[in-house]
Amino acid sequence: MRRWQLASFALFFGLWELAGRWPVSPAFPPFSSTFLAFIEMLRDGSLGKAYLVTAQPLLLGVALCALAGIAFGIGMGLSRTIEWLSLPVFIILQAAPMAAIIPLLTYMYGIGLTSKVLAVIMLAAPVIVMNSYKGIRNTPPSLLQMCRSFQGTRVQEVVKIVLPHAAALIFTGLRLGLAMGFIGIVIAELLITPTGIGDLISYHGSTADYPKMFATIASIVAVAAISLHLLQRLEQRLFP
Amino acid sequence: MRILSAALAAALVVTAGTASAQTKIKYALGDVLGIDDLPLLVAAERAKKRGVEVEITSFKNEDIATQAVINGQADVGQGTPYAALEKVNVPIRFFVQLWSLQFFPVVANEHYKGWKDLDGQEIAVQGRGSGTEAIMLLMAKQHGIKYKNISYVPGSQVRALAMLKGNIRATILDSTNKNFLLKEGGSKFTVLPLGNVKASDEALFARRDYLEKNQAAITVFVEELVRVNREINKDPGSMVKVRKELGLLKDLPAKLDDEIPTYFKEGVAGGIFPNDGGGENAAKSDLEFYALSGSIKKESPKIEDFWHLAPLKAALAKLK
Repeated sequence: MRRWQLASFALFFGLWELAGRWPVSPAFPPFSSTFLAFIEMLRDGSLGKAYLVTAQPLLLGVALCALAGIAFGIGMGLSRTIEWLSLPVFIILQAAPMAAIIPLLTYMYGIGLTSKVLAVIMLAAPVIVMNSYKGIRNTPPSLLQMCRSFQGTRVQEVVKIVLPHAAALIFTGLRLGLAMGFIGIVIAELLITPTGIGDLISYHGSTADYPKMFATIASIVAVAAISLHLLQRLEQRLFP
Repeated sequence: MRILSAALAAALVVTAGTASAQTKIKYALGDVLGIDDLPLLVAAERAKKRGVEVEITSFKNEDIATQAVINGQADVGQGTPYAALEKVNVPIRFFVQLWSLQFFPVVANEHYKGWKDLDGQEIAVQGRGSGTEAIMLLMAKQHGIKYKNISYVPGSQVRALAMLKGNIRATILDSTNKNFLLKEGGSKFTVLPLGNVKASDEALFARRDYLEKNQAAITVFVEELVRVNREINKDPGSMVKVRKELGLLKDLPAKLDDEIPTYFKEGVAGGIFPNDGGGENAAKSDLEFYALSGSIKKESPKIEDFWHLAPLKAALAKLK
């Protein structure tokens, strides 16, 4: 990490400390007590347990999206019929305010794991599908013409030209899908039933243990940011 | 010039007079308005006629309403956030009890018949550290059983619907939703017997400095709240008539009209509406119950650390 990056973190945490000590609100803890609360939650295992619970629907949802979403996106990119049938659904899903829709899942799928997995899918799927679709559609026509001029079959065209060209955008879709998945799972855990990270946030909020509440929120932001950063680096290595 | 000065002075007097006559209490309610809030709405209407306007704002849940009071955006909050009050570094105190806990543990007959059957089984309650969890834990202790897992499902209505759909098999509901469940599900569900659990379900709290500075206005409001409770205890059906007279809860679906007398009759039978605003007795029961539930961590908590009884005492003195 470069020096100016470290300085930027130091400045941010310093301002947080000042704002907490001022305080901007009796419910806003300084950085130092939030950090101590974070260490305490790591030590007593509550944070680890919460992440295990949250990871289950998150990973399941993102995995299902990765399999079905990419296949669907590729299908949309290759077939005009599938595109005509599905594109409006995903455009609407991208624009819909999910925080308003997710609570409705409980009426259809109850309060368990299914609803939470679906919440992740509803947020992650449009990004993954649309990126795969655009990746396929953006294949340069000159490459396709070249394949055809060498009398390449449709299968060869897809396997050797279209898919390798779309791979970078498909991977970007997966990375952004994971980011949306994080949003989906936190909303679901706060709006459907409090479990995992959502339970820690709401419980510590209700008992006015604000350092622990802020530590939980900061930790999920950090976990999401680090995961996405690592995926971005992997993406840069795979598709330079 | 003299005329202008006199007019200005007169205007100032009028303004000052209006300001003192129009005291406003910003009230944070952690729920949408329902049948159980009728006593509050009636008291607010009557207090308004006495120059104390109670401006009720509905928040998504009790936690946010409590936050509003802690941050000074609301003057008075409703609920029982004992855990928050113990931890937060702003002195917040309860000052009147609206009603005490009245919940009904319900099980699906297909799976369970009594408390003993819940040994090693999963149950659903409102939230971690909530009154509903405390009651279920207390009952488990009394019956010598241990639950396998406790799920947190906010909203009695959500739990009642989940019971009907078979997603949960044992839970605890408020009066309105217990009646709804029994009406819809009939013989499929059983209400388990509950021992004598006495603690506040809803009490009012505010910053201590606010209560001291605004004791006159708060006393008027408390007086009206206690007066409404006394009317309900005398005649549980009175709220139907008063609601119509004052035009309250106009948006309430017509099918819920019949629920109003049922709710208040059940409440009066269960003795949940205190005639004296709860006071010291309510405070003592609360400290005992919420310490048992784990909401209060402090050993031997004191009443004065959680309650400020001066406005209630002043109101009761006027009501005699």
